[in-house]
Amino acid sequence: MITLSVKNLKKKIGKKEIIKGIDIELYEGEVFGFLGPNGAGKTTTIRMLTGLIRPTSGSISICGYDLQKDFTNAMMHLGCIVENPELYPFLSGYDNLVHFARMIPGFQSKRLAEVIELVGLSERIHDKVKTYSLGMRQRLGIAQALLGNPKVLILDEPTNGLDPAGIREMRQFIRDLAKNEGLSVLVSSHLLSEIQLLCDRVAIISKGAVIQTDTVHALLSSQEKMVWRVEPLQQAKQILESATEVVELEDCLITDFDANKAGLWSRELVNSGIQIIEMNRRLPALEDLFLELTGGDRIE
Amino acid sequence: MCEVFILKKPLSIVITALSAVLLCVWLGGFLYAVQTNLNVQADESKNTSQDTGKKSQAVNNEKDLKVVAVGDSLTRGMGDETGKGYIGYLTDEMKAKSKKPVIVQNLGISGQKSDSLLAQVKTYSVTRQLKEADYILITIGGNDLFQGGQTLVDFQPAAVKSIQQKYLHNLEAILSHVRSSNSGAVIFLVGLYNPFIELENGKDTSQVVREWNYKSAEAAAKQIKTVYVPTFDLFELKVNDYLYTDRFHPNSKGYRLIAERVAALLTW
Amino acid sequence: MNKLIQNEMLKLLARKRLIVVGIILSILVVLFTYAQYQTVQTQLKKLGTTDWRTTLQQQIIDTQNRLSNSRIPDDFKKELEVRVKQQQYYLDNDINPAEPGAPSFTKEFMENSIDLLLPLMIMVIASDLVSSEFSMGSIKLLLTRPVKRWKILFSKYVTLLLAISLIIAMMGMISYLISGVVFGFKGWTAPEFIGFQITEAGFDASGASIIPQWQFILMDFGVVWFAAVVVGTLSFMVSVLIRSTAAGMGIILALLIAGAILSNMVSSWTSAKYFFMLNMRLTDYLNGSPPPIEGMTLSFSLAVLTVWWLLALFISFGVFTKKDIY
Repeated sequence: MITLSVKNLKKKIGKKEIIKGIDIELYEGEVFGFLGPNGAGKTTTIRMLTGLIRPTSGSISICGYDLQKDFTNAMMHLGCIVENPELYPFLSGYDNLVHFARMIPGFQSKRLAEVIELVGLSERIHDKVKTYSLGMRQRLGIAQALLGNPKVLILDEPTNGLDPAGIREMRQFIRDLAKNEGLSVLVSSHLLSEIQLLCDRVAIISKGAVIQTDTVHALLSSQEKMVWRVEPLQQAKQILESATEVVELEDCLITDFDANKAGLWSRELVNSGIQIIEMNRRLPALEDLFLELTGGDRIE
Repeated sequence: MCEVFILKKPLSIVITALSAVLLCVWLGGFLYAVQTNLNVQADESKNTSQDTGKKSQAVNNEKDLKVVAVGDSLTRGMGDETGKGYIGYLTDEMKAKSKKPVIVQNLGISGQKSDSLLAQVKTYSVTRQLKEADYILITIGGNDLFQGGQTLVDFQPAAVKSIQQKYLHNLEAILSHVRSSNSGAVIFLVGLYNPFIELENGKDTSQVVREWNYKSAEAAAKQIKTVYVPTFDLFELKVNDYLYTDRFHPNSKGYRLIAERVAALLTW
Repeated sequence: MNKLIQNEMLKLLARKRLIVVGIILSILVVLFTYAQYQTVQTQLKKLGTTDWRTTLQQQIIDTQNRLSNSRIPDDFKKELEVRVKQQQYYLDNDINPAEPGAPSFTKEFMENSIDLLLPLMIMVIASDLVSSEFSMGSIKLLLTRPVKRWKILFSKYVTLLLAISLIIAMMGMISYLISGVVFGFKGWTAPEFIGFQITEAGFDASGASIIPQWQFILMDFGVVWFAAVVVGTLSFMVSVLIRSTAAGMGIILALLIAGAILSNMVSSWTSAKYFFMLNMRLTDYLNGSPPPIEGMTLSFSLAVLTVWWLLALFISFGVFTKKDIY
């Protein structure tokens, strides 16, 4: 079932078109990654999805409600954290949640306790937010996003600033939400390993447009590489270059992976008296993938 | 169910409610201020238009009433919160009844006695004003007789006798001078009342005041168109209702009584 | 909507700005009370040891004597009449007119704070109400709720009105209680003179009448409230337009101070009367002080302030509901 549907979303500021037509569909129970370098339009898109920025054209529909035409109903099914969860530091965590709960029509007060339990903040909930650690704030942020039993959860950089243990915990938490509660979670991150580990599907965005949308697995497998450690390097490179594209990286050579031809290439190298120390099939990091897809758009 | 968690901050609720009440109070005050002040402004413009109306009337009707009042603090109106005195009330009444402009010269001097009044009326400027008057009002004698209450406190018939003699002499001189300077005007001589009527020796003092007034009336009778106006009876009952806090001068109510009595005698 | 207003009040109270305002006011009132007390003492010294009651009685009689003089103009007579009534009231109620009672002090304090002090206090609250959400970043959480934006802003505006009402009441209470300790709490029913005006022709008291002081104070507070609402709304607008609370405060502060300076020197530049700052002193119309520019009336000032108010409100809501939040 489609929970979030974005069609041909565009945003112009002045004459400059920042977002040039984005289409996304989110399904129930999946974690969807939203990947792009800073300045690619990731944040602007997320702000449009959460109603903070008015799109110039295109439509956003959340659980069938159009965000522009039926803001209240659409937002009833959406929970989000945009950038950091900037809760009121001078209020307690509890008061913060009460504050946001009051803004939900027909809110049931037992949900408040549920959510606090879910994010594991029961002990510190009555302390002022300014005494919270970053991780606790992040969890409180998720708690406020979940208050209204949303169908769609949008998390902008959810692991930003967390320590490694916190990151792992958050990752597990998000996966559980999608799996157990059937939420669609849209996660944006510039930590690419994060997307790799967290998401089912990913959209890659560059310069205001989605370049590719696919499952993480499919994207990666289409980009498999062979890594060659050979001796002498230059001679081997010449031989391989006659057959395929070769990139020289430190003391290795990298070529595309091709199951049919790998044996052929290695035989040729051996015949030419080159010593093969190691021959490896490797999934690329998303960094490489990104470079590949965007043709050099930098990423952190 | 929904309200349970919301009621956790009673202080905030109380303050909110209090603020809401205050908001209504200040809004009320504001509306009151606006209403009052805009009304006043409207009234003012009405008043000014009435005033101009009156002025144009005055131009058309050259015949206006001239009143000259001489005498002591009663003429001055001492004790009246509005400062009008019986002259003021009388003037109001005359304006209302005659529909003519009334010009009043109040020459009263607080604490004046008969001898100094005689000197005053004989001065050139006062004589000139008396000449033009349609009505001449006199209050005199109170200070001669009472001397600030002293005379009647240590009451000595012989002393009173000699004071009265002097006073009558002066009064006759005053009246004849006024009469001679203006033969047409009506002269009203306003009599004394007894401010001490409710004191211990009220009976004795009343006796003296009655005698005093009787002689004054006789002196007035000697001149034509000269009317003695009694006030004794006005203050005879409930004197303190009509007296100012000094228990000597009339208050506004008292002055109004005197003015009404004089007004009743006016003819056009 | 009720819940939204409660939210805003919760935040307002939690930030303790009202308490800060209360403390500032208390300090100032103590200062002013002391100053007033010193003035009274100097006056008493000058007068020597004479009993003020005798002096007052004498003044009443003098005024009454002047009143009965038919040559004095009618409007001046009105003024004298009121003076007599006031003096008589002081005498009857055993109030030394040289030492104002707490109600008089409060009234004067309000009248003098209407164009600068009070707006400053209001500004502290108003200019922070929206921009602080921006600077804290919490606006992103606030606007991603299933509540329309205009409702959120409206709840903030209502909260502002409530806060203004509260601050004015606080101001009144603080000045009444503190000055009352020194000057006594009496004088609520002292007669006050309303409805006279200073015009080109001079002093016009033809429409004057007398009301008890508490009614006058109520009116004073009413117009003070209105002026405060207008300034509050303007600060509110700036708060919507400018993310930085400090910059917003700076703008309003500059305007208010410019107004205070202008009102002292612009009587020849008549167009200045359309500035809201010059129309702030509404209490002047009540107590008959001359307006900064000739020809200004209560209705004029109210009209000017209302236009500014509506404009600010319109811009605030227009911008806030359309604004892209980055």
